[in-house]
Amino acid sequence: MQREVMFTGVGGQGIQLTAKTLATAAVEEGRHVMLLGHYAGAMRGGQTDASVVLGDQPLRTLPIVQAAWAAIVMHDDHWPSTNERIRPGGVVMVNSSLIDDVDRPDCTIVRVPATARATELGAPMSAGYVLVSAFAAATGIVSIDAMLAAMRQLVPPYRQQHVESNERAIRAGFEQEPIPELAAWEQPATAGGVR
Amino acid sequence: MTAKLLQGADAITEAALAAGCRFFTGYPMLPFTDLLERMAARLPDVGGICMNAASEIEGANMTLGAAAAGARAGTGSTGQGVALMQETIAEAAQAEIPFVVFTMARGQQDYFQCTRGGGWGDYRTITLAPKDVAEAAEHTQLLFHLADQYRSPTILYGDYLIADTNMSVDVQPRDYGELPDKTWAVDGTLTGTGKSRLLWSWDIGKADRRGLMPDGQWKKVAEKFREIAESEARHETYRADDADVLIVSWGTASPFVDFVVDLLRDDGIRAGSFRPITLWPFPERALEEAARGCSKVLVYEINAGQALEDVRLSIPDRDKIEFIGGVSVDYSGMRQGDLLDVAPLRDRVLRAIQQGAAT
Repeated sequence: MQREVMFTGVGGQGIQLTAKTLATAAVEEGRHVMLLGHYAGAMRGGQTDASVVLGDQPLRTLPIVQAAWAAIVMHDDHWPSTNERIRPGGVVMVNSSLIDDVDRPDCTIVRVPATARATELGAPMSAGYVLVSAFAAATGIVSIDAMLAAMRQLVPPYRQQHVESNERAIRAGFEQEPIPELAAWEQPATAGGVR
Repeated sequence: MTAKLLQGADAITEAALAAGCRFFTGYPMLPFTDLLERMAARLPDVGGICMNAASEIEGANMTLGAAAAGARAGTGSTGQGVALMQETIAEAAQAEIPFVVFTMARGQQDYFQCTRGGGWGDYRTITLAPKDVAEAAEHTQLLFHLADQYRSPTILYGDYLIADTNMSVDVQPRDYGELPDKTWAVDGTLTGTGKSRLLWSWDIGKADRRGLMPDGQWKKVAEKFREIAESEARHETYRADDADVLIVSWGTASPFVDFVVDLLRDDGIRAGSFRPITLWPFPERALEEAARGCSKVLVYEINAGQALEDVRLSIPDRDKIEFIGGVSVDYSGMRQGDLLDVAPLRDRVLRAIQQGAAT
């Protein structure tokens, strides 16, 4: 089983960090993983995308992902280039605080008011963690423990003040109910990993 | 085995440390910068030294110095910076001083730089072009071994897809066999004994000990490169055995070619691929053999046609050969552009096949 997840948003929304968190969490759970981020010279507000490919077998993928199972859409400014690579029958996670809708009747669309929820929690910068965690909860692609551990590992020493708010955001995202037809894996990861 | 999520720059660093690299220099330049940063962070952990040089020329010459003293040493840059290192690389090749140069190029436009070089004399540089992060880690260790085995600088050709992609990789030390002691190293231990050593591209020697002299040294070096050309060419084929159309590519372009080969096979087209793993020595005989039964040989690389020349030198029937690559750079100038993808590659292959059928 191989799962491709494409992230899209604008600079400052945590696309690169949350994508790396998902990738790191999956490696901790024994999956094979590839991650490639893409971002422009402009940091805040510029285009930022990332692709994460996860599998329980060695991956067969190109670094430039051709077709993906899932999209994490934090902002729709640059959504069209991701949209064209999402397969029919896929899943689209939408930050409904900023995006009205995406026109993909052939996909399962999960709307999560990630920015509003993170703001309620006093941590608007952690909105990306709300959305990616809701995705993880809906699909079971990684566990909450792996996500929390990966986030703690990736937040640099000079940003430790954000660990607690990121944790609140991850826990809020995991309030999302599992959606059985979106289950990412046939076999859940075991403590020792799937390998 | 424990895999870790490693960016390509991390994987190369861990592989270099596993290979015994203990000295590294460079000057920041994307997409090489991450490698320099990782080396700077990790080398002190193992008692090594990483120096941020004031320029690529200084960095390359510090690496030459460390290597001359017997250290396993490396340097690197992107193509623009490796351009400045050409004199040092050539001097090291003639004086037989081994180290590894990591060029994290901004695309595929530095094939000639690595395989022809811009230094002086009859020298060559073993150049490996990994297709992905896992192979980059493997090649890094092999290049340190080959450098010491042949006492010659070697080159890893990477790019942003190598340097920036993260993969779950398990970097294990690789054993490529025994190497002779570095009895030639100018390590200072013989100073004042009257037996001190000399490494010199001209090998004129000392007053009491005449060397091979330029004629002898340069013949010796040329002979060594002839032997390397015979024995170290490496390649890989994919679905090439019964192929009618053979697509030649190298480095990070090759996984895209293999992907397209599968698509073409699904459409009933007998496509296959050939990848030189060593850009020098180019696997000429293996390519000639692989292309023998093919009606077309298409060359796909993201430049104006550089490996194309080596393909032409390998295949007697030049009419079979068609170039389907081209210059393609993204907005930043630091990465390959849109041509490096499945759809444009597939279109170009199909167009080449149709044109062939029409004529």
